[in-house]
Amino acid sequence: MRKQIKLSLNAGITFGIITIFLFLVGFTSTVADILAELFHNKAATSLLGLTPQMLNMLIFLGLVGLWAGAFGSRKEKSRSDDPWGVAVLDSLITGLVHGLLVCGLVLLVGTLDLRGVRMNVYLAQVLPAAVKLFLLGKAPLAGGLFYIVFMLATGFLGGLFSRGIGRGSWRRRSAAAWKNTWESFNRLSFVTQVRGNPITRYVIYGLLLLLVFLVPLGAGQYWNYTIGTVGIYVLLGLGLNIVVGLAGLLDLGYVAFFAIGAYTMALLTAPAPHHLLWSFWIVLPVGVVLAAITGLLLGTPVLRMRGDYLAIVTLGFGEIIRILSKSDDLTAFTGGPKGVTAVGGPTLFGKPFNSAIDYVYLIFLAVLLVIFVTNRLQNSRVGRAWEAMREDETVSRAMGINTLTQKLLAFAIGAAFAGLGGAIFASRNQFTGPDDFSLMVSINVVAVVIVGGMGNIPGVIAGALVLKGLPEVLRQLQDYRVLVFGALLVAMMLWRPAGIIPSSRRKMESNKDTGVTETPKEGREG
Amino acid sequence: MPSAKAPARRVSTYKIVQTVLGILFAGYLLWRLYVVFIGNPAYGSDTWARFIISGVILGSVYALIAIGYTLVYGILRMINFAHGDIMMIGAFGGYFVFEALKAIPAPTLTDPKFTFSDAHPIIAVLLAFIVGSSIAALSGFFLEKIAYRPLRGAPRLVPLISAIGASIFLENAGQLLFGTQRRDYANPLILTRGDGWNLPIGGATVILPYTGVLTLVVSILLMVGLYLLVMRTRLGRSMRAVAENKQVAALMGIDVDGIISRTFIISGALAGAAGVMWGIHLGLVYYYVGFLPGIKAFTAAVLGGIGSVPGAMLGGLFLGLVESLGPAILGISFQLKDVIAFAILVLVLIFRPTGIVGEVLTEEKV
Repeated sequence: MRKQIKLSLNAGITFGIITIFLFLVGFTSTVADILAELFHNKAATSLLGLTPQMLNMLIFLGLVGLWAGAFGSRKEKSRSDDPWGVAVLDSLITGLVHGLLVCGLVLLVGTLDLRGVRMNVYLAQVLPAAVKLFLLGKAPLAGGLFYIVFMLATGFLGGLFSRGIGRGSWRRRSAAAWKNTWESFNRLSFVTQVRGNPITRYVIYGLLLLLVFLVPLGAGQYWNYTIGTVGIYVLLGLGLNIVVGLAGLLDLGYVAFFAIGAYTMALLTAPAPHHLLWSFWIVLPVGVVLAAITGLLLGTPVLRMRGDYLAIVTLGFGEIIRILSKSDDLTAFTGGPKGVTAVGGPTLFGKPFNSAIDYVYLIFLAVLLVIFVTNRLQNSRVGRAWEAMREDETVSRAMGINTLTQKLLAFAIGAAFAGLGGAIFASRNQFTGPDDFSLMVSINVVAVVIVGGMGNIPGVIAGALVLKGLPEVLRQLQDYRVLVFGALLVAMMLWRPAGIIPSSRRKMESNKDTGVTETPKEGREG
Repeated sequence: MPSAKAPARRVSTYKIVQTVLGILFAGYLLWRLYVVFIGNPAYGSDTWARFIISGVILGSVYALIAIGYTLVYGILRMINFAHGDIMMIGAFGGYFVFEALKAIPAPTLTDPKFTFSDAHPIIAVLLAFIVGSSIAALSGFFLEKIAYRPLRGAPRLVPLISAIGASIFLENAGQLLFGTQRRDYANPLILTRGDGWNLPIGGATVILPYTGVLTLVVSILLMVGLYLLVMRTRLGRSMRAVAENKQVAALMGIDVDGIISRTFIISGALAGAAGVMWGIHLGLVYYYVGFLPGIKAFTAAVLGGIGSVPGAMLGGLFLGLVESLGPAILGISFQLKDVIAFAILVLVLIFRPTGIVGEVLTEEKV
């Protein structure tokens, strides 16, 4: 009993802190605006003295409160009996604590606001409008009391819901029914025939390809630009996938190779600073090869290290490349902080590429090529060697794999893909500069690989779509994108370290309970 | 037997390349030293004194942060990537203390604009350090609890990625909470930045800033305190035992999780103190302030030999000095001083991965 109460107290405090944090980073106001756009109720008349914006925010906070209640009243694992009273009490405690914390925030913020303190000097998102919205236009005390009641009520409801849904028998029953239907559907002779047939797969792939090639025709300039960006991230993700996902080497300076591809394209095709004006189609392979060679050069000294050292050293390399390209000393060679403008574009059969849609198709072709190469590599002797190395380096060496050569190969191929991506990127933007190559690009690519599923091609594509595509759809959430990135990385590691779409080999390896892959025994650590 | 010889010869070629590169680099360094000091001296001794002063002060801050990396690495064998951001949190803690104390007026007859922090600078500075350190320590504690503890025993890449995620999260939470602008640390009047003792060196006066001396003194005190804590107390002994072998330590009745928590609290507190120093001495805090010092302090920790506390202190001081003297000695622009830190990191890892005073690492640990 006492343990249950402690659990719900903890839940209340956690959700209280979450709500306060959401307010402090301005998320409550943003979400109110998003919901207003969703419901089209911006101009609706006010209800109970509340403006539609306030109602929208309350809808969101109500959902948080429901979740808190459901979370707080979850059943303790060791309990066998499960009385109603406990669940209700738990949800009430959670709601009360949640409400009290929010009430404290409201009282503090409200009094400060009344006294005319401009809080947004210190806390950038606590604008007077946001405070007014959060207080629902009421006095601090009334607002605080309202939130206590509101959180209590939503917490209670959440507890009831979780009691009904999470512990009810209907969930098991409906799951069983669904499973039965699915199994009997699978047993149909027609279904098994179609499934077993390799042609089905080709048809599905063909349809997907057709869809992918048709989408840009219907999309406008802006969306094609976005699709192109996603495509370039797929390229980068597939490249890094070889390094991180297959060979298990964490490279945090991946942007360096991207930068080399982009700068090769820019410096060799642009009129300034060198006026070489080479053709795109010649520079493209040059950029790829240069990036690969740089990968080899960087790899030779650092690949003797393991894991975390490698991560920091590659991060250092990435920053060195960026700082060098930015420095005034090399302006004559790299264009300096201002970058290189008027980067040349490709011409095919006399048609110059000048709109986003042309580049989308170019990027599609590059992605297809890279997918093909990755796929063949992955299922080859080399790919198996990489995966063996990732799982246990010592054992793979004992199996006769030359780990250093394999690592270098992985590094160079990954770098080559990044070079390809960089060259196309520079050409498409017609510009390249040091700011395109911040550490954030490396981190983004790592996130794409990890969120999607390490060592898995569809996973990387899904990761790029989720991380680079979704934020474009939800433009208001732009400010929170990177924040969510960070939280997502941690959350993925905690609950799904194998990614959204885990690769089949990883799935086989991973532990059923936690999803954490089995650890190779590590020296003294044990 | 050729099959036995082949791998041996490959190692030796690597050694040869290593030695040749090392000699080339050392030769270049000697030549530059000759040019700068004897052949064509560009700076007078006063300038060198200035470089050394700023290098030592910066180095002492790096050393404090580096200790945090080293403590955590020694125990968990993981790089606490978010350590620099913990420092940022500490810096903001101190910033808000100074802002709050600045808002309390304490007018005197001579100066009606006198504020509490001007009237009681010792209390103000102490309070800033205490608040900054405690907030940072608290965040270190929660960081470990949320992002690292559930991953004990996972493959090494997993906690590292979690750490990167935590670092991104903290940085952007900082950006959203405090905005992107750089904020001026409101030092007490007596600690105004740029003020200091004037030392006559080489015919010119060199300023030894008060803030720098404060930074140096506080960091030396903290380092001595930490050394005593690790070497003399029960907690320190438990920490060393856990670093040596977790399982045996647990068998000896040590609460391993508790010790790891406390390690994060200690390293967070040191990083917080470093953040407050950064603010007092260099003046500007912003959400990104922890990133570069964090990476550099990691370099310092590696340089001194990661896992060793005295090594981190030495490495920090050495890095601070190299960073301020390096551009002048190598004859490159000061814009590139960050490149020097990264280049040192790479060089150390290539030539002497165990650092200056590092323990001999087996390959399994590296």
